[in-house]
Order: sequence, then structure tokens, then C-alpha cells
Amino acid sequence: MARVVILGAGVSGHTAALYLKRRLGRKHEVVVVSPGSNWNWIPSNIWVGVGRMNPAKVVFPLAPIYRRKKVDFRQARAVALRPEGDADNPRAGVDVVYTDPKRAGQTERIRYDYLINATGPKLNFAATPGLGPDTGHTVSVCTPSHAVEAASHLATVIETLKAGTPQTLVIGVGHGTCTCEGAAFEYAFNVEHELRTAGVRDLAEVIYLTNEHELGDFGVGGMTFSQGDRRITSEAWLESLFRERKMKAITQAAVTEIEPGLIHYRQIDGSANTQPFDFAMLLPPFRGVGLEVFDRNGAEITDAVFAPSGFMRVDANYEAKPFEQWTADDWPKTYQNPSYRNVFGIGIAFAPPHAISRPYATPDGIAIAPAPPRTGMPSGAMGKVVAMTISDMILSGATLPTHTGSMGEMAAACIASTGTGMLSGTAAAMSMSPIVPDYSRYPDTLGRDPKETTGDIGLAAHWVKRLLHTMFIYKARAYPLWYLIPE
Amino acid sequence: MDDAQRRIDTAPLPGAQELRRRSNPVGQFLRFLRLNWTMYRLANHRH
Repeated sequence: MARVVILGAGVSGHTAALYLKRRLGRKHEVVVVSPGSNWNWIPSNIWVGVGRMNPAKVVFPLAPIYRRKKVDFRQARAVALRPEGDADNPRAGVDVVYTDPKRAGQTERIRYDYLINATGPKLNFAATPGLGPDTGHTVSVCTPSHAVEAASHLATVIETLKAGTPQTLVIGVGHGTCTCEGAAFEYAFNVEHELRTAGVRDLAEVIYLTNEHELGDFGVGGMTFSQGDRRITSEAWLESLFRERKMKAITQAAVTEIEPGLIHYRQIDGSANTQPFDFAMLLPPFRGVGLEVFDRNGAEITDAVFAPSGFMRVDANYEAKPFEQWTADDWPKTYQNPSYRNVFGIGIAFAPPHAISRPYATPDGIAIAPAPPRTGMPSGAMGKVVAMTISDMILSGATLPTHTGSMGEMAAACIASTGTGMLSGTAAAMSMSPIVPDYSRYPDTLGRDPKETTGDIGLAAHWVKRLLHTMFIYKARAYPLWYLIPE
Repeated sequence: MDDAQRRIDTAPLPGAQELRRRSNPVGQFLRFLRLNWTMYRLANHRH
């Protein structure tokens, strides 16, 4: 009997767990280690953050699902990997500290034959002084509880506006190296939609503050859409949308500090600026969760397995070279760790080889460099790819990964909500193929397939976004035929 | 504000026909079907 341990139960880890158990059956063990007890459909947190969705609709408890599927669920936080085992036992292991209230604080070394690192990110609010809801002066929509708090603050702002007092709302990213600009974009437009619905839009100034070099970059270097016979950049597409919705934007910005009611930021030209605010939702940068790695003798070898960012090294080309020399081929295909072939890193937990958007910095070296997004559709696809590979290794003795899924080949679709409502909602539907531009395959169309890279705004995209919410929660709950729903 | 704001201020606005298209339930239902098919297709290739 083989044991596969999965660290993390987000989109990629949970997807991997369900596919592994489906293929491996009862003869092999699948163990999921996650510090939280719930699964969260993060894309819908923005609707919780404007008070339009009950937080109970974006989460569900994992334990009953795993009990039904015969997956061994441990509510615990992984703290260290021992891929060579230890002095007492050569079998690889992972050290965990239980967060389950019944066993809180207890530790255990869980042995494994295969390990999937799908921990997701650490929300690094500490990277910017004053950032975040806990010790800072801004709100967040990264978790359901953060989103509930954001909705409460937004309701207060709307009441203040109704009393006739102008308000400034700043929404965006809180550091020069953030990713997930798409989520900030969605939240900004949903807030704007709520202000209009409440009849207080005229007194509010809504500002999108981002590290993107231009609007529509989204950390993927922007897109050029085919719309019938014409081509339009995502930048021009969104500039029109911003003007239509009377929203302002600050681009090329690295937030450096937040005081109560005042954001300090630097821009690429070196200028130091401030932006007053009454309400600010700024996303944090991500880093790895801080797993340590030890060899059999107990010596720390973390740097051999994890990049300095804390994300896991996989089968990518991490050679240092100028941005212009990176190619889509440098991106990982199997997500296998090069040092330990039974260890895989997927979702946000794997270390990207390079930025997709051109990185910039201020003259004195403050990075303004959106990190590559690796959430949602590609994250689920990676979970399936690795689950298939590991199950082939276990069931048929494959020695090499049997499935691949590179972001340099994968397509992705992103439905960015710009306001909710069955007949009044809108969303921007964007698709791109591949995610990482491949300039050798598509030299004349900025690295992407023009037939598969499209953009459309309208009510239909909102319906799709709402449908995805229902479908992915159905899939994550592992209801009948869940596996027919693609990642 | 920086150059982004200047570009927003001069960006073309959608016309009345485009705004009607975005919210027309019949036309949007057809787009809804097409978007779903596109997403299904994209999700199923290359991995």
C-alpha cells in the first residue's frame, strides 16, 4: 500500500486528492493535511466583500467530504519536510502540528511515499507597513472572514455617503510584487457597482491602485483580443471600461507604507506619492508558507528544495538570465521536484521560473513587478496532472511523470466580475492561450493564439461567473459525476 | 495622476448599440452558451 500525502486543500490540493482517490481506490492511502477545516471558493469572496453573498455560500467543511471519499484528513499545519527520512526510519516524512481543536498543538511525523505540496501562499501583509486588516489600516478579500470585514467597512462608507460626505475608495494591491491583480480589479468594479446601486456614486471617488505597468496587464503581460475582424489590447479595452464607469487608476505603483487614511507609494519614475483614502482594500504579496527541509542527518537543506521566495522548486528552468531570454519552455511541465522525485509542487506553491510581465523597479531599486498568477483554472489543471502522474507511478510502476501541463501550453479563461445581479450584472470574460506567451509559436500575435485569446463584456459573462460558482462547489463537494466538470 | 489616467480620460466610450448588446437578455443568452463552450474547450485541451 502506497501513501500519498497532500499538503493543502485549496483548488489544486483538493483537486489532486479527489482524482488520486478516484484512481487509487481503497488499496492505497491519500492523506490531506490542511490547517483550515473548510474549503473556500475564493473567486466568489469578492461578492462576500460587497455584502452580496453570504459567506456560508463560499465555504463548506472538508471533513465530511473526505470521510465519504475515504480520504484521511488531518487538520494540521505542515512545518517541515524530511524527504530522506530520519535517523530512525528511512521512509520520507512530513512534520505537522495539529490545528484541529481536539488535538491542537500536538505534533506528528506523517510518513509518505509521494508528497504533493499544494499549500498555497502565506498572505504576506507584513511586507508593507500598515497593510492588512489585522495590524494595518486596510481591508482584504483574501479569506471569507476578511471579506465579511470588508463588506462591513463598505456598508459604513455607503452610509457616510448617504449622509452627504464624499468618500475616497482605493482598491488594488499593497506591494510592488503582488499578484492576483484580477481579484483587485473585480472587487474595484463590484464596489463601484454597489455604490451606483445605493445611489451614492456621485459623491464617491473610486481609484484602482496597481503595480501593473498598464491596465489589463494582470501579471500575464496583457493580452491582445480578437473581436471579430479587429484586434484590441486589453489595455485599451479596460481604459474604455474605466472611463465608462468613471473610475480612476494609478498604475506602475509600489505601495511602501500605509498610515491611517493615507497610502504612500512609489512609481517607476522614482516619484514618491501619497493617496488619501476613507476605504482601502489592498491585496498582500504572497510568499511560501515557510516549510523547512531536513536531510536524514537532521541538517537543514531548505534552500535545495525551496526558492528564496519560499515556493517549491520544480522542473522549471531557474537559470538567471535577462527577461528577454526567457521562453515558455522554461515553465514546468510535470511539477516534479528535481532533488526528490516523489515530491511535487503545484498551484501557488511552485516557484515560477520568471515573471510573465516585464519586471520594473524604481531608480533606487524598489521592485514594481507583478508576480505570475497561478490560481484558478491552471491550478486545478496542475492538481489533476500530478494526481494522474502519481497514480500511474503507483499503479503501473511508471518511473517518469506520465502527464504534463505547462502554463506555456495551457489555456486559461478568466471571468472578472464587474457587478453582480441576474439582469443588471456584468463581467469581463477573457481567455488566453497559452498563459505564458510563446513567441516562437505565435511570433506575430504577441505569443498567443489569436483565435483563443478573446475578450467580451456583458451580462452573459456574469451568468458564466455565477454558474462557475455553483459548478465548482458541486465538483469540490465530490457530488456524483464531479469528475466530468473540467478544471 | 499618471499616464494611465490621461489615457482613461481619452478612451473611447461604448456606443448605445454596444451598451444594449451587453444587456440584451436574448443575445446574452446566446453568448452565455458560446462562452460556456469556449471555456469547456479550453479547459480540456493541452493537459
